[in-house]
Amino acid sequence: MTQAPVSNVVTAAGLEPALEPVSSGASRKARKKGLKDPKRKITWDRVRAQRALLAMAVPLLLYQILFKYVPVYGWAIAFQDYKPGRGNILNQEWVGFENFVDLFTGVNGERFRRVVVNTLGQSVLTLVVGTVGAIVLALLLNEVKNLPFKRVLQNITYMPHFLSWVIVASLASVALSLPSSGGFINQALMSLNIVQDPVLFLTEPNYFWGIVAGTNLWKELGWNTILYLAAITAIDPTQYEAAEVDGAGRYRKMFSITLPGIMPTIVVLLIINSGWILSTNFELPYFLGNGLISERAETIDVFVLRYGYELGNYSLAVVAGIFKTVVAIILVGSANQAAKRLNQETLV
Amino acid sequence: MSAGLVGCSADDAPDEPQDVVIPEGDLADQSGTLTPSNPTTITTWITSASQVPANDNKITALLEEQLGVTLKYEIVTPDNVDQKIGVMLAGGEFPDLVGTTDLKMRLLEGGALLPLDDMLETGDYPNLATHVEDDINKMSYSGTEVDPGLYIIPNYNRFYGEITGGTYYGPAFWIQKRVLEDAGYPDLENMTLERYFELIENFKAENPETEGIPTVGFELLASTGREWGMTNPPALLSGSPNNGGVIVDEDGNAEIYADKDIARDFYEVLNEQYDAGLVDPESFTLTFDQYTAKLAAGNVLGMHDQGWNFQTASDSLRSAGKDEYTYVPLMPVYDGVEPWYADRDVMNTNQGFGVSASSEQPEKALKFLDIMLSEPWQKVLSWGIEGEDYEVGDDGMFVRTEEQRANARDLTWRASNRLEALLDMLPKHQGQFSDGNAFSPDDQPTEFFETLTDYDRGFMEQYDKKTWREFVNAPPENPKYYPAWNIALSDDANQVNQQLTDANVQHLPKIIAGDPAEFDANWEAYVGAIGNIDVQVYEDAINAGIQERLSNW
Repeated sequence: MTQAPVSNVVTAAGLEPALEPVSSGASRKARKKGLKDPKRKITWDRVRAQRALLAMAVPLLLYQILFKYVPVYGWAIAFQDYKPGRGNILNQEWVGFENFVDLFTGVNGERFRRVVVNTLGQSVLTLVVGTVGAIVLALLLNEVKNLPFKRVLQNITYMPHFLSWVIVASLASVALSLPSSGGFINQALMSLNIVQDPVLFLTEPNYFWGIVAGTNLWKELGWNTILYLAAITAIDPTQYEAAEVDGAGRYRKMFSITLPGIMPTIVVLLIINSGWILSTNFELPYFLGNGLISERAETIDVFVLRYGYELGNYSLAVVAGIFKTVVAIILVGSANQAAKRLNQETLV
Repeated sequence: MSAGLVGCSADDAPDEPQDVVIPEGDLADQSGTLTPSNPTTITTWITSASQVPANDNKITALLEEQLGVTLKYEIVTPDNVDQKIGVMLAGGEFPDLVGTTDLKMRLLEGGALLPLDDMLETGDYPNLATHVEDDINKMSYSGTEVDPGLYIIPNYNRFYGEITGGTYYGPAFWIQKRVLEDAGYPDLENMTLERYFELIENFKAENPETEGIPTVGFELLASTGREWGMTNPPALLSGSPNNGGVIVDEDGNAEIYADKDIARDFYEVLNEQYDAGLVDPESFTLTFDQYTAKLAAGNVLGMHDQGWNFQTASDSLRSAGKDEYTYVPLMPVYDGVEPWYADRDVMNTNQGFGVSASSEQPEKALKFLDIMLSEPWQKVLSWGIEGEDYEVGDDGMFVRTEEQRANARDLTWRASNRLEALLDMLPKHQGQFSDGNAFSPDDQPTEFFETLTDYDRGFMEQYDKKTWREFVNAPPENPKYYPAWNIALSDDANQVNQQLTDANVQHLPKIIAGDPAEFDANWEAYVGAIGNIDVQVYEDAINAGIQERLSNW
């Protein structure tokens, strides 16, 4: 075996054989099949040849196990009447599904359904507005030919990303307040004669999702754009040249080359973000929410903080956490599935 | 548990750390536990609205010089305390001294605090032992999950000697002094809500602006954790003392009042006043900090609140010399009812310092509390340093010069010369010291009147009164169980209580800010929301607590 031909060594090392030019669907299919080639079994030789790679994977694997799998034993709390004073997790009183019943039915259940809707509403709106905004800005920035101007514009738009949410929330609350308290939005609306009397934005439940999406847009717009701009630079310039030769104008090129060029990035980002849909939006609802608008403002995380941690009811918090995890897995899975159906780049 | 104190009978163990040098004077720890020759760092966690002391604080320096103690503070404002406790409990790590205002006593049930009875019995902590002697039953925790025993030393209202005092810190409908001045110092007897709002309305009509900003008639605070500013008035208006969310009848039966007629009447008035533009439309979005800032700006004519809650705002108005913008307490009531706003100061048995279970030096931490409770240190903490912050008269009574009084009003000066956050949570020698001086300048009768500015003195003379306390009712004897608001609740009752609070915070602003034509509909929605909550669980828990107190206290 020591005299193995070179090509075999390459295969043994697990490296891809030299790429055949991808010219037809048929050969692509062949390659995909090749991945499941029964000949590529894990053998001792392969392990030895890849030991450096495998060794490099160990710390990450340990990290994953230690921080992502081991803590799952804490889910036991969901089935207990957990009290920190009783010592460790095995000393607790087991109550079965009582905590689940408590969270999903009765007064709490009604409340929980509302906060789930709020979380979904705020996140989806934020995600849609944020993604569309970032793509549009990336497309427009890409067309700016004056480099210094482009740099300045980019810097200004991504600066807010580095502010903490506490600061952003208090900026927002000042901006949305009465003119006498510094509310410049009301001032602007009034001097433009759009409204007659100042609007108390933070007392009207139906504005809140919009406020969340708007504030997120302001904070993250420039930052999100960076990824798309990077993706745009990867587009082959010859495509633009070819399009130009075919007589395409600016807009034609934007829609027919740039946008399809960054589509894989968009889809992958959307799939990743779909997993966060129930976990985002803690800060704004927490800092800006108040009694009057809580029916639209309160999100799962705020509810968990108030009815779980603040009341010392950790079990309820864990039940909500499990619920979020399950929903996140379903969401990511179905987003991935949908992308696959649409023949798009997928995560898994 | 052995109290392994340094300097105790040295068997033949040679682990005497260093030579113990006890400094001269009565501020030193004679037992040698806390001395500069063996410096100690004590970590503390404090719930307080006061600020962290400045780096150059002179009392901090004195602590190091006399006791070798360096304090590491973590100060949490009352609005954030619930989360902080939740997070600390989940983590299981606590500082040496835990200063809590946790009504639900989750720290105890979570095993965060050491039982102190055994430690006190060693006799090494004489000041604390004396402090708890008479009220140990009241102070001992009697919740659900842990054995009774003394776990925290209450920070307020264990009195020594005579009770004296001039400032009122309790609940009231407050009104700016300039409003009364402008109205020609009207009679304040038999105050009603209508007259209260009339005074505000008249003044606001004449003074639409204060120093360039619009005048606000009436402020409400609905911020989570402080929403009692909005929810407590109905009980007070109907002549019941502050029992929290319930009214307790003469037989000791408690019942919530949030959905009863006394509440409806109050919110109907507020609704009318809101419609008339007297209630601040920003009320319901204010955080506590924004509320304090508003009051401190001086343009708010009145509000319902507890005196201690807006202390910071009053202080900053006073230190800016704007006495006419500070507040006097009024006590509006419904027809035919005697006001019971001011109550006898009750011990807050759910507030104070405990020693944490994870502390590696519980003896030193407790010794620190004990030393701080000694008369010499109490004088330092409350009055300051003799000759610098106060003088001693020929008769042995403490007095202050005008300059010393001005200093004591100045927030910046206090940051460098007082340890207010610490003192807030420490057990106190309230009442009188053994030499007859009052615990604090505010309580020293002669000093109190002298402390007043010319404006305040003139104001009081108009009403022929000598203290702010005289503006409120003379407190009747407290019922035995009183107050119901500090009864420790079970998890279920806590959750119901939280649901009630949330219903208040969500619906009351709508009722108040809504169109008067929709008042009835809004009120019905609110009563319906309360109807969905299992109020019985909460009422039963309170009633059980009352019965328990009636038989044990």
